[in-house]
Amino acid sequence: MHEPGRMSRRKGTRVAAAVIAAGALTLTACSDDGDATPSGRESTIELPDLSGQELEVSGVWTGAERDNFIRVLDEFEALTGASVSYVPSGDNVSQFVGTKIEGGSPPDIVFVPQPGVLHEFAENGWIAPVGDSVQEQLDANFTQGWQDLASHEGTQYGVYVKAANKSLVWYSATAFEYAGVEPPETWDEFVATAWTLWESGTTPLSVAGGDGWTLTDWFENIYLSQAGPEMYDRLVAHEIPWTDPSVADALTTLGEVFGESRLLENGTEGSLQTLFPDSVTQTFIDLTAPDAGMVFEADFVGAVITDSTDAVIGEDARVFPFPAVGSESPVVSAGDAAVAVAPDGEASEAQQAMLTFLASTDAARVWAGGGGFVSPNKSLEFEAYPNDVQRGIAEALIAAGDDFRFDLSDQTPAAFGGTTGQGMWRGLQDFLRNPEDIAGAQEYLESQAAEAYGE
Amino acid sequence: MTAPTKTAQLPNPADVPAPAGGPPPRSLVSRLASLAAGGGVRVILVVLAVVWLLPTAGLFASSFRDSRDIASTGWWEVLTDFDQLTWQNYDALINNDNFTSSIWTSVAITVPSTIAVVVLGALAAYAFAWLDFPGRDWCFLLVVALLVVPVQVALIPVARLFNSLGIFETTLGVVIFHTAFGLPFAVFLLRNFFAEIPRELLEAARLDGAGELRLFTRVVLPLGGPAIAALAIFQFMWVWNDMLVALIFSDSGSPPMTVALQQEMRQFGSNFDVLAPGAFLTMLIPLAIFFAFQRQFVSGVMAGAVK
Amino acid sequence: MASGKVAVIRARPWAAACFLLPALLLLGALVVYPIGYSIWRSLYDASGDSFVGLDNFQELFTNDAIRTALRNNLIWIVVAPTVATALGLVFAVLTERIRWATAFKLIVFMPMAISMLAAGIIFRLVYEQNPDRGLANAVMTTVHDTFAESSSWPDAQPRPGGSVEVQEDGSYVLLPPADANAPALLPLVAVPQPELADAEPAAVPESGNGEISGAVWMDFTRGGGGTPGAVDPEEKALAGITVEAVVDGEVIAEAETAEDGTFTLPAEADGAQLRLPSDNFTAPYNGAEWLGPNLITPAIIGSWVWMWAGFAMVLIAAGLASVPRETLEAARVDGANEWQVFRRITVPLLAPVLAVVMVTLMINVLKIFDLVYVIAPTSVQDEANVLALQLYLTSFGTDTHQGVGSAIAVFLLLLVVPVMIINVRRLRRENQR
Repeated sequence: MHEPGRMSRRKGTRVAAAVIAAGALTLTACSDDGDATPSGRESTIELPDLSGQELEVSGVWTGAERDNFIRVLDEFEALTGASVSYVPSGDNVSQFVGTKIEGGSPPDIVFVPQPGVLHEFAENGWIAPVGDSVQEQLDANFTQGWQDLASHEGTQYGVYVKAANKSLVWYSATAFEYAGVEPPETWDEFVATAWTLWESGTTPLSVAGGDGWTLTDWFENIYLSQAGPEMYDRLVAHEIPWTDPSVADALTTLGEVFGESRLLENGTEGSLQTLFPDSVTQTFIDLTAPDAGMVFEADFVGAVITDSTDAVIGEDARVFPFPAVGSESPVVSAGDAAVAVAPDGEASEAQQAMLTFLASTDAARVWAGGGGFVSPNKSLEFEAYPNDVQRGIAEALIAAGDDFRFDLSDQTPAAFGGTTGQGMWRGLQDFLRNPEDIAGAQEYLESQAAEAYGE
Repeated sequence: MTAPTKTAQLPNPADVPAPAGGPPPRSLVSRLASLAAGGGVRVILVVLAVVWLLPTAGLFASSFRDSRDIASTGWWEVLTDFDQLTWQNYDALINNDNFTSSIWTSVAITVPSTIAVVVLGALAAYAFAWLDFPGRDWCFLLVVALLVVPVQVALIPVARLFNSLGIFETTLGVVIFHTAFGLPFAVFLLRNFFAEIPRELLEAARLDGAGELRLFTRVVLPLGGPAIAALAIFQFMWVWNDMLVALIFSDSGSPPMTVALQQEMRQFGSNFDVLAPGAFLTMLIPLAIFFAFQRQFVSGVMAGAVK
Repeated sequence: MASGKVAVIRARPWAAACFLLPALLLLGALVVYPIGYSIWRSLYDASGDSFVGLDNFQELFTNDAIRTALRNNLIWIVVAPTVATALGLVFAVLTERIRWATAFKLIVFMPMAISMLAAGIIFRLVYEQNPDRGLANAVMTTVHDTFAESSSWPDAQPRPGGSVEVQEDGSYVLLPPADANAPALLPLVAVPQPELADAEPAAVPESGNGEISGAVWMDFTRGGGGTPGAVDPEEKALAGITVEAVVDGEVIAEAETAEDGTFTLPAEADGAQLRLPSDNFTAPYNGAEWLGPNLITPAIIGSWVWMWAGFAMVLIAAGLASVPRETLEAARVDGANEWQVFRRITVPLLAPVLAVVMVTLMINVLKIFDLVYVIAPTSVQDEANVLALQLYLTSFGTDTHQGVGSAIAVFLLLLVVPVMIINVRRLRRENQR
């Protein structure tokens, strides 16, 4: 069974990254020649001999992104002798795993995008805690923040092996040059830049209002930077209501751009019909006179650019960090955690070995080489990334240390933070449609949150 | 009102006039048409034909354009710029294991369920037409009543049933589901057809000492050829083109083509370079059948449209 | 029919059972049992543990999403079969005597062969909003632009807070009144680069000869650095803009900007208000928002009609062929004209066929799912919702309520029960004949 209308934000990630990897793969395929271990380095971990054992791994990736991940699995096979198969989990990981467990043949390792789903799995007793060798790798390679995201009530259940930096604004170098503006660092500069772009005849912002999740990312970045990480965490836990003045402040700030139809490509109504990939292509498809100057979203924007436009990342398409609304620029991230599915509570040697491997720098290096991937592994050298932009994104992520915050909507119940036509997605779409009504938007969000958190 | 009416008027389903039928009789209405409009009618028909063809032509043309062209201009650009045409979308699709394996899954679902429906349907239809047993008419009426039951009614219960049988999300489950929902129509269509077989033929065979099975395989099945062909084609198309049942019951790891494409859709807009060739490939077999077996196709679709 | 005859074989019971059992078992387990289960399940809550009576059915009529689905289903059932049948009738009549009718019928019938998924993808392409990519809007804008001229500077706007202001009617006015002693400068911005490709550099107007002179230009220097409100060296002229001098609401003089953006108004315009009427800046027509919230259901119905008109056409053509010519001739002899013959005789004679077509199409439309699921973008899925889709959404996925899902299923089943009864009764009548 698949999840139809409830499009998780992962999808955006996936499509995009799936396409990029296609390009990246053709490059790496050549360099693989005659290289027994793709990394060409000594292994940093010891793995048991698993000859004859079979492992099934499930993740959300399909297409080229899946091919890229399979290279990582191939490395594991080469190191241990185990035979690993990959099964796409479909969009709704929770339901996929539930169905498989009921059917009696769950996959051994599953990638879970949302921390909320990981908690749900842990509470259901579907997944097993990590073993010592995994913890060793975690301590060596991951900050406490990334570890905590994959733990439940103090027990470590998984490893966040893949990350996405969601605090990036991509811009057209042509548009900026034509308007004579530089990448802004603060929110006020950002708004001024937008107006200057507008005067120059380029619509400054391309907003994918058709996909509610992009709007939640706008809000999260502003809120994190303006209200600070502590408030952010309290809002995640719904310890403060959405009617809190801090939310009003963030919406007011957001309204400075969302409230100006002139600043939005295709206007307010047009933005509400714009889907994520289109928001990217309309910014970068025309290199001499772009329709829009800037588009906000995570690193996977690069994938769409590579696939659907002729723009060269780093030259035509460039990136600046989300501007600081408060004192600090926000770093909002997302990611995928690997967990061992074990309804009987005990993970097998092979499962532990796979998690150990995935938590190791070796795995991250192979994965990074394929493109379309950013690792939260702090031990991974930045040279492993195939291009400067990818490297820059990874550097920003690692530099943030534990000062990053995980995607807010991914941490809330799915009914609130991840469902088309309701909760945060709908609330912020309504806000984009009618940015004057901040109080109304807050009340809607609070009522939806109250329902979703079961209060 | 629906199916029974049609078969009552047209006892042999294969006789439903196909588009390829002979020259139609001259009627007043048509005379009106030609008098009133003359050559105008021809022009209107040509325009209509173009309107009907254009959407498909658009898909076809788009499937040969790379993603950049698709994102920036309309498919009609290829009419003036042939250089845009490329095989690369098809190349990518053929090399995409997910997609190629979905073709096999489609076949693995469609062929068995078509055979199963024809075989099981013919057996039951024969019994309803020529065998005498208690409750025969009542039982047949029940089958006819089931003709119009929407598949939606069965989604939740059958999902539970399959789950407990361990065939949820398997190709086998999809085959069984399609077979069950193909049966009422199969039984109904074939029974009416078999009933028209001249009684003398059966009696003669009977006198020669043939048993039920022999009678069925040697006399009834061969005579039922046209109806069976129409049924097989209809069932094949129905299953091949199905998305809803496959969406719920097929193995998410190796879905049939329709679901594989649907999974590609998620965020539309920029991936027509995958969808257009994919959709076109799914259309190939139905279109081939359509053009090769127009008569059987039309009669099958006509008779089965009530489903 | 057959059941009226004496069966040729008096079968041994086990033989009949062997022939029947496989089919009946499957039908029982996968069709009959689910009907019973759905009815039972529709009376229980989300978890399936407690009995809630008809609450789920009440939800059907109170839940906003489901009510939209209900309303849309109603629109579908009324509109789609009617349009398809009407088109089928027209096609059948038009093709009756055309020699290449077969080719035409093949073309119109062909969509029946393809999946709703493929049709959905086909129409996503057709309905794309951007007229450069979507066929529907490309046609609409082409037709529109043939009849209506678009303005040359649709994007030009005054700078917020500057000396030029936007009026409610869309015209722009210069706040300070015209002054014969100083040039009237009307700076506009936001003109996209491509539109300026052929524009001349803007000239600084000269004043002092008694007439009112001024300029309209794109007040933005490429690469930045210009002075707002002043004609800087690299800035481009906006030619062909109508400038009106207005006194007390009356236009007293009018001029058009030259290639260098300057204009001159006679001396009597001194002190008048300068206005750039809104038709200078009419936005280009972009076609309809097929995939937007308002048109999505009609748009999807359009794609369905594309698929099913051929079905109606073939059935109606068959009916048309069997209309007795004598009756028609007799009417003609009585002096009826062709339209009357068609209205009074042909259509009534075709009525049974038309009814069959309509009912068949209605049953099909009732269960419409794939097209809506595929064509409607997620942002308007709510607006395009139909019962079958809502059933799928409520029953499968996270956060499900199979009680409500079952209630929708039962509701759909209830809607086809009349057809079921008609089928059965007709069959029984035939058997008794």
